[in-house]
Amino acid sequence: MSKLLDSLTTELRRGTLTLAVLSQLRTPQYGYSLVQLLEKSGISIDQSTLYPLLRRIEKQELVSSSWDTSESRPRKYYVLSEYGLEILSQLEKEWMNISNELNTLLRGDDEDEVN
Amino acid sequence: MKLIDIYIQEVIRRLPEKMRTDIALELRSTIEDMLPSNYMEEDVKHVLNQLGSPAVLASGYKDQPMHLIGPRYFDVYLSLLKMILPIAAVISLITMIAQNFIGYNGDEAILYVVLSIIGKGIGVIIEVGIQVFFWLTATFAIIERLDKDKEQQPLTASLGKWTADDLKNIAYIPKKKAISKFEVFGSLMWTAIWATFYFYADKLLGVYKGDGERLDFVIPALNQDVLLQYWPIIVIIIGLEIAFAIYKLLKEQWTKRMAIGNTVLQIITTIVFIVILKNPNLMSEAFIEYMTTAFTITKEQFNMWVVGGGISIFIIGAIVNAYDGFKKSKIR
Repeated sequence: MSKLLDSLTTELRRGTLTLAVLSQLRTPQYGYSLVQLLEKSGISIDQSTLYPLLRRIEKQELVSSSWDTSESRPRKYYVLSEYGLEILSQLEKEWMNISNELNTLLRGDDEDEVN
Repeated sequence: MKLIDIYIQEVIRRLPEKMRTDIALELRSTIEDMLPSNYMEEDVKHVLNQLGSPAVLASGYKDQPMHLIGPRYFDVYLSLLKMILPIAAVISLITMIAQNFIGYNGDEAILYVVLSIIGKGIGVIIEVGIQVFFWLTATFAIIERLDKDKEQQPLTASLGKWTADDLKNIAYIPKKKAISKFEVFGSLMWTAIWATFYFYADKLLGVYKGDGERLDFVIPALNQDVLLQYWPIIVIIIGLEIAFAIYKLLKEQWTKRMAIGNTVLQIITTIVFIVILKNPNLMSEAFIEYMTTAFTITKEQFNMWVVGGGISIFIIGAIVNAYDGFKKSKIR
């Protein structure tokens, strides 16, 4: 039972992952700093999913990347491109819509139960 | 440190060459970011466990499926497999049997030949099955990888997106009208059997004498030379019967055209059968003599019984068969 719940929860979260990552890339981030940022806001993300995801959105030209070799260890920084910013704002709108719609649905259920 | 190297190596060896250096570098810096400043092997293990299996990580980078055939192609793949497998098996089986008969020199006992053909037949079916399965699967696995279209809708048999119009291409087949695969293979088998008897009549048809232990073939009933005079037309009939069986397999139901074709085939076969049976030299002298003494009848009587009886049975069979085809094609 809880296994099913787990897989359903993962499925529910999967679609929101790109949005969550994009939202944190307004300022340049490297892999691990991004993980920490996300975890701070309570979003735990499978790391084997995150790193390939970063590559993918780079390929889709939503973010641009650059190597910073000035520190003790080289780090690859990702930051939103202009196109990425545009997509992000539209995805945000979509998210608002979805959550409003679902809230209506779920609240509707609650009212039914009260009656 | 060594564990990290091995882990990175395990990831990048699964990746295309040009991606390797960059990903290795990024992965190493990420892993080091995750480790505390003075780390032990335990810490490394903990971090690597968080990153998970190298195979999964690599497949994420590659952005390629971790399956041979995905949901988009699976249905088409399966229907093709089900269609091709039996056809390929039957065709190769028939080819194998034909080859065996052509190469038969008449020295071996017929039972031995039949047994060895059954053995070889099973072998051929397994071999062809594996070949068809392999090539079809390989082809679809390649298509799956070449298809950059990210559409996940399963394909229909027409290789397009499904619409209600697709239903128009599928015939509605009532059960009574349908031709089962069993029927098709049965008729192919029948063709193979009578063809065998035709070409080996002098070894199969005739008088057998048993002494309790073994059955000996003593008198052949027919003159093989006379019988073989008709071989070109017999080969044509064999070809027609096989073609008709495959046509039935593909159409899956009786149609008016098919019933007409069946009738024509029945008429041709009947005429050829009558012509051959009417040949006065067909039956061997020894056989006629044996039969006339056994049943105490004259040669003419025996001839009349065989020719008359054979022809009537054949004609009745042909009429019933042709009528049945028309009856089935009329069902709605």
